[in-house]
Amino acid sequence: MSTMVFQLLITGIAYGMIYSLVGIEYTLIWNSSGLLNFSHDKLITLGAYIFGGSMIIKMNLDNPIAIVLTLAIMGVVGALLAAGIFNRLYSMRSNIFAIIGTVVLAKIISEFIRLFWGSGNMRVSGWLDKTYFIGGFAITSANIVIIIVAILLVAVLEVFFKFTKTGKAMRCVEQNKKAAALMGININRSICITTALSAMICAVIGFLVIPLVNISATMATTIGLKGFCSGVIGGFGYIPGAIAGGIFIGVVENLATIFIPAVYKDAVSFLLLIVFLLIKPTGFLGKRAQGR
Amino acid sequence: MNNMKNNKNMKNALKWAVVLAVVLCLPNIIRNDYWMVVFVRVLINIVLVLGLNLITGLIGQMNLGSAGIYALGAYSSALFVKNTGLSPWLGLLVAVVTGIVIGLVLGYPSLRLKGVYFSLTTIGFTQVVQIFLNNMTKVTGGSQGLKSIAPFSIFGFQFDSYIKSYYLYVAFVLIAIFCAVRIVNSKWGRLYRSLRDNSDAVEMSGINIADVKVKAFIAAAIFGTVAGAMYAHFYGYISPSTYTVDISMNFVLMLLVGGLGSVSGAMFGAVIVTILPELLRGLGNYYLITFYIIIFLGILFFPNGWVEAASRPIKKIIAKRKKEESASGEK
Repeated sequence: MSTMVFQLLITGIAYGMIYSLVGIEYTLIWNSSGLLNFSHDKLITLGAYIFGGSMIIKMNLDNPIAIVLTLAIMGVVGALLAAGIFNRLYSMRSNIFAIIGTVVLAKIISEFIRLFWGSGNMRVSGWLDKTYFIGGFAITSANIVIIIVAILLVAVLEVFFKFTKTGKAMRCVEQNKKAAALMGININRSICITTALSAMICAVIGFLVIPLVNISATMATTIGLKGFCSGVIGGFGYIPGAIAGGIFIGVVENLATIFIPAVYKDAVSFLLLIVFLLIKPTGFLGKRAQGR
Repeated sequence: MNNMKNNKNMKNALKWAVVLAVVLCLPNIIRNDYWMVVFVRVLINIVLVLGLNLITGLIGQMNLGSAGIYALGAYSSALFVKNTGLSPWLGLLVAVVTGIVIGLVLGYPSLRLKGVYFSLTTIGFTQVVQIFLNNMTKVTGGSQGLKSIAPFSIFGFQFDSYIKSYYLYVAFVLIAIFCAVRIVNSKWGRLYRSLRDNSDAVEMSGINIADVKVKAFIAAAIFGTVAGAMYAHFYGYISPSTYTVDISMNFVLMLLVGGLGSVSGAMFGAVIVTILPELLRGLGNYYLITFYIIIFLGILFFPNGWVEAASRPIKKIIAKRKKEESASGEK
């Protein structure tokens, strides 16, 4: 029994870390431009397809080269999206247009994926698919890598935002656009960098979920939605909140399978979302429940 | 002045009469089963979008849970009719009750808050609905769906062919339009618009915002569940895979294409977004991406809807002419 609980806990933390990363990735864009990016799950899918579909399966590149190349491509994609589309969307008069703009963008990306890579599923063999046995516990290498990479990524982001000039400028834009512009910060450029960063985090999420799900057009839909849940549960628009909320959801939904049939696992996080809105709409770390 | 108003009313009535005449003649012009199904789908979508217009178009709260509402309407009516063997009209009533319950249960937690919470909750709701429909195999038939759902009938007259259902649903849509117009042009409609423009001012006037929003959402949910029941009794087969978050997004697209907040805009959008992909099917593999790119450019460049964008130059010309006339009159 305790073995099972422990294993569920590890799986839960690993999944939770992924939800946290999703939370971080869209919170960055939300904070910098006030856009809720509904195309983020398709960016994750795009990252996975570029990495798995093109770099590894077609071109047979080594893993490190493939990772670096994919990150670079996704960074460029993000910057282009921001410069061409997001900068236009966030200044529209109603956030409905902005949201639907990103929704249609998601459709375009997924159609592009279907036309470019075909509609079949893909599997990357030899990518994080080992299983280790440590004292009776079976732990997959995917789970270990997810946890390590997520922690590293959060640490790197923390350093970037605290100690680099670009990072500081991005935080200024997040707090007050007008004041930031008066201080000589180029807001549009800052939003471009933020979106590029966000797209790169999407690519990292794409690498990490390949061992958990097949590469397919809908691989990231549930993960993307649960990322939104983690934001609300932890405190919307607050990065530590998104991290805490993600891990909370991951652990709770995996431990819940002890009591309920596993098919209802996915419903848990959405029910948690509704319960949190009823009882504590600011999330458990959020101080500000502001709407836009 | 009075004369001018009468004139305008006449013109409006004429416009609607022409549209109605075209709609009534359509099955005789296009004798093609495939297109009849598309047209019935347009009618069903119009009913749903008219409801969505209340909450998303007028109040400005982004509802991304239409699919869940639609699904529950379809399943509640279909299950009721299948299990009791009673008339689909009673099933429709059950769907309406379902709509009221959804409005209360979902609207209360999410509409008290501003901003994106409502969108996120409604998405979550759709996911939960789909998961339960897929997995409660004993009740809903699981992913196999429900088969052979009875069509509507009046005194033994069955609406079982495409053309018969088409005319029945035209009647449904007319009732829906009547209700929607009455709501939009009433005290409630004005309240909704003012909520969108400045909710603080409305609250200052002593109006319970959450209560108003929940009521609007209940109305929207009733339209949605009725559309669901229409879907179920027309196709005779429903399965959970129809009701994805994707179609919720499509419904919002219809609203945006037509222009937020107007009844005729909502109808226009439903027609365009349902029919345009069918017209583009000739492009083969590329038809969906073309369709979405067209819609995307529309959102970027005509954020007030296509009707407004198309009529803007005409209005400009008319305004210019009027100005000239008044200028020459003053001389």
